[in-house]
Amino acid sequence: MSASERARGDPGATPFVPSIVAEAGAGDTLRAFRTAALLGWRVESNWTDPALFFIYTVARPIASLLLFVVMIQIVGGGANDEIRAFVILGSSLWATLVAGIAGPAWSVLEDRERYRMLKYLYLSPASFLVLLVGRGVARLAAGAIGTAIALVFAVLVLGLRVDVARVDWPLLLTTLLLGIPPIVAIGVLLGAVCLQTRQESWSYPDAFAGSMFLVTGVVFPLAVLPDPVEVVGLLNPITWWIAGVRQAVLPGGPTSVGGEGSLWTVVTGSASPDAATVVFALFATGALITLAATAIFRLSERRARDQGLLDRTTGS
Amino acid sequence: MSIERTTATLPPAISVAGLRRVYDVKPEPVTALGGVDLEVAPGEFFGLLGPNGAGKTTLIKILTTLLLPTAGEARIFGFDVATDSRRIRRIMNMVAGGEQSGYGILTVREQLWMFSQFYGLGTREGWRRVDELIEAVGLAEQRVQRVSTLATGQRQKMNMARGLLNDPWILFLDEPTLGLDVAAARGIRELILDWKAAVPGRTVLLTTHYMAEADELCERIAIVDRGRILAIGSPEELKRRIQRESIFRLELDHLDGGAARLARLPGVVSAALAADSDAEAQRVVVNLVLVEDAALGAVVTALGGLGSQILALRKSEPTLEDVFIELVGRGFADGADDTDGAGGHAGEDRGSGGGMPATAEVVVAEVEAERVEAGR
Repeated sequence: MSASERARGDPGATPFVPSIVAEAGAGDTLRAFRTAALLGWRVESNWTDPALFFIYTVARPIASLLLFVVMIQIVGGGANDEIRAFVILGSSLWATLVAGIAGPAWSVLEDRERYRMLKYLYLSPASFLVLLVGRGVARLAAGAIGTAIALVFAVLVLGLRVDVARVDWPLLLTTLLLGIPPIVAIGVLLGAVCLQTRQESWSYPDAFAGSMFLVTGVVFPLAVLPDPVEVVGLLNPITWWIAGVRQAVLPGGPTSVGGEGSLWTVVTGSASPDAATVVFALFATGALITLAATAIFRLSERRARDQGLLDRTTGS
Repeated sequence: MSIERTTATLPPAISVAGLRRVYDVKPEPVTALGGVDLEVAPGEFFGLLGPNGAGKTTLIKILTTLLLPTAGEARIFGFDVATDSRRIRRIMNMVAGGEQSGYGILTVREQLWMFSQFYGLGTREGWRRVDELIEAVGLAEQRVQRVSTLATGQRQKMNMARGLLNDPWILFLDEPTLGLDVAAARGIRELILDWKAAVPGRTVLLTTHYMAEADELCERIAIVDRGRILAIGSPEELKRRIQRESIFRLELDHLDGGAARLARLPGVVSAALAADSDAEAQRVVVNLVLVEDAALGAVVTALGGLGSQILALRKSEPTLEDVFIELVGRGFADGADDTDGAGGHAGEDRGSGGGMPATAEVVVAEVEAERVEAGR
């Protein structure tokens, strides 16, 4: 067969009947998701550049971890082991969170401005949302590696003590899994914003993630926040995800949600939420944010198509 | 089922009615499409010809579901671009020229395979199709090369391969040879023609501001300017619209009495010696304008009577640029504004820069050169 014959495709394989053209089915959706995740992994994980891999996946989470550990040592005058463990775990989890939150937004910006492929992805029959979620999950996975490396570093170098026998594995697994959809959903929400914005939005993902850091109990309990901000934290699935992982890995340790003077304790009368409550709260807030993110993304997609933003590049 | 039999019952490949698109930009809204009506039959190779900013890219964006119209209706094989976009995307594909798109970290083969998956091909089927297309577009040597290392022409070939991955019913080509050298542009054109010819019913919509390209490829052309379609027809029909007289170039061994003798013949509007006449070399060239082709008989008879021998006779035809100038009152290179992009939209700033010829004349010359080369 000649080269040009190969380009022609198979005439017999194309039934030319418009009425049979269907939208993508479940199999197509799954395939698109898997491929988008693979694409995200290849494009965003920097495996082929050891220096970038080291900086983003190893050095950054460890540096962030050390920053907080040193800070509480100095400010707290040598905090007790429980507080150190509280900060170390929260700070280590942050690598996963920031990657998951910023991932889809970065994908929108990079695909549109840098690779200039956003329009071609959009014009494929695969759901744009599914493609973006796939990319987000790849980022989340890369972030999880950073978290794992930071935790190993904390155990080996900083003396973090985790009693494996006391770890609540069912709670840990449930929390980790239930946390993935809302974390990616928040990322999709941010992606929806970046779809509407111009070049300056390169800084939005990190800025937004930074604000989440303050209100979700990553390194300090919500009780220290003003009440209205504490409400924002309690409605945020990230808060419950971190609280759940902490409760599973460091049972009996300090909680980021309850405690003396916290809104949680004032309203419920309990010192801290139990495991079932944490899981329920994570599920409920997660479902809410996932539904909201999906709806807002659809609106943003529609507006982007209306305004001609899908192939607009502002960086050149 | 025979494709030919089926296409007869198909809805139009493209059906556009009263299509308007206004970009809401400051200081005032810009109308990129001002009420376009268009119908393209299944199997047609249709061209949109117009200068930069004419509205071609805006129209193609709407038809490919990348942009919503402000008003009016557009359908692809009966599917509404506003509401049936997911179905349309299964049966169409689009390739734009003049852009450096691609995931630089991936190899050619990997990038194409990923898109094959987005188009719903199975894993193995995807690899098979990718390998076929890589060979077909002439990228076999670059198959495992990273996209970031490809030259412009190679990258465009890869884009063409991506555009054919799903074997679309309708292929939208937005300036596909923009920025390419003569050989690469010819390769792309041949590939498109080959692909289209292989299956009756495959439809291509090409936008270009290269008139020779439109003339060479398209069965019908719409001439677009400032968001409106000025004329639609086959290249021959469009040229005939402005050709009110028959123009011939006549080469003779000698002409006693000069061109004035021919000018007096019935049916002859004018006759003038061309600048490249060389009487000493027994080569007299006359540019002859006749009322109609039939008047040529009287001229030939008269020349016989004068003892002149006809060395060559060629009929001159207007070019598509002549048609455009006649319709618009200016050439492609003059006064092209940016109504398409409203100043900042991607895909609209791909003017005649990027190392490409700035004028249509140069492109005509390039295509002519290709033809000469091909005929050799």
